[in-house]
Amino acid sequence: MNSGVWEEVGCTKLWNEWCRTADTVHLSPADAFCVFYQLKSDPSVLLCQCSCFVAEDQQYQWLEKVFGSRPRKTTKITVLTCRHVTEYKTSESVGSLPSPFLKALKTQHFRDPVCCSLLEQPNIAHGLPAAVLSYCQVWKIPAVLYLCYTDVMKLDLITVEAFKPVLSCSSLKSLAKNIPQSTDILKKLMTAEGTQSNIYT
Amino acid sequence: MASRYDRAITVFSPDGHLFQVEYAQEAVKKGSTAVGIRGTNIVVLGVEKKSVAKLQDERTVRKICALDDHVCMAFAGLTADARAVINRARVECQSHKLTVEDPVTVEYITRFIATLKQKYTQSNGRRPFGISALIVGFDDDGIPRLYQTDPSGTYHAWKANAIGRSAKTVREFLEKNYTEDAISNDNETIKLAIRALLEVVQSGGKNIDLAIIRRNQPLKMFSAKEIELQVTEIEKEKEEAEKKKSKK
Repeated sequence: MNSGVWEEVGCTKLWNEWCRTADTVHLSPADAFCVFYQLKSDPSVLLCQCSCFVAEDQQYQWLEKVFGSRPRKTTKITVLTCRHVTEYKTSESVGSLPSPFLKALKTQHFRDPVCCSLLEQPNIAHGLPAAVLSYCQVWKIPAVLYLCYTDVMKLDLITVEAFKPVLSCSSLKSLAKNIPQSTDILKKLMTAEGTQSNIYT
Repeated sequence: MASRYDRAITVFSPDGHLFQVEYAQEAVKKGSTAVGIRGTNIVVLGVEKKSVAKLQDERTVRKICALDDHVCMAFAGLTADARAVINRARVECQSHKLTVEDPVTVEYITRFIATLKQKYTQSNGRRPFGISALIVGFDDDGIPRLYQTDPSGTYHAWKANAIGRSAKTVREFLEKNYTEDAISNDNETIKLAIRALLEVVQSGGKNIDLAIIRRNQPLKMFSAKEIELQVTEIEKEKEEAEKKKSKK
């Protein structure tokens, strides 16, 4: 996000018992923020990076604050999130699933084609992504949720690459640049994370 | 439904699953990829090296271990479990040699490891070993062998196989590229193993470890330089193949 293309325009601060600090006043960005960025080249594009846990009883207020009391139906929302593949309910064995894989869930007013298959029953979306989608369904806003089922606990290159098809769908096509070095750039970003645990070899 | 039957190892679920064993197989997938190939005159084990922390001694993070002079194995999964299994197997190899005056056959030691693993799936208060192993070697009769074991205690002989993360991708590559031609020559077999790993290894040759056993010769671990040489050759061959294609 510090590539210079995005400009930070706001944040939401919230505290719940999942936060790693007991100090409710002096919250650092890592603890309890959802940060909003605006694309410098196209101010109509906003991005929200939510790296904290939004508790169920805070979700509605979060949505109201973000969308306003009467959200515009001209906005298009895309939500990206991950879950562990063992939470995917299917009659096949978990071992045979081609993880990571993408599933989509959309509101009634989302007319564009989705770039992967829809999430089948009895699987459900959880947490803030589900709240956003429900909110958009009620207020008739076109919204789509892309859920990546992955077999790792920490984000890695293979999981991030599973999201690449999302860049080809109509709402995000204009933002996506087809850079051949995208895999290398992703590798660099991912290895910056990578402290290894010694449990598995 | 699963949560009622997955606590105790000794409890079957109504549809016949042993969930702890299946969860142990998930633990195997958390380990990095290992590939084994049985050639005509050589057996090759290739592994994706785990990236070590800066202050960590690289030599102590090994996925390929010798069980005896003529048998070695690579594992994927829980490091500590692998250490326990390898220690037991090494003791068994020497004990067999002292008792019977013959070195173990590859099948014997594989069966020993598999039986050990199976015991831990049928015992109260214990959990299964969270590792799969690829065991390679030559028997006295000079025939190369490759076996794979998994946490449930089954073992099978393979011509080529992969375990760990991305094992499926590597296995599909091997199914397409394992031909009689590819394994007739020792060097080609080594290259096939490296090419299979390069499909899934993220940073190329420097994250690969390779070990080979040739008939009547001890285990040989490749140095980083030797692996780089092979990788460079493979990349050259790839470029030439692509040039030919574009000419056509």
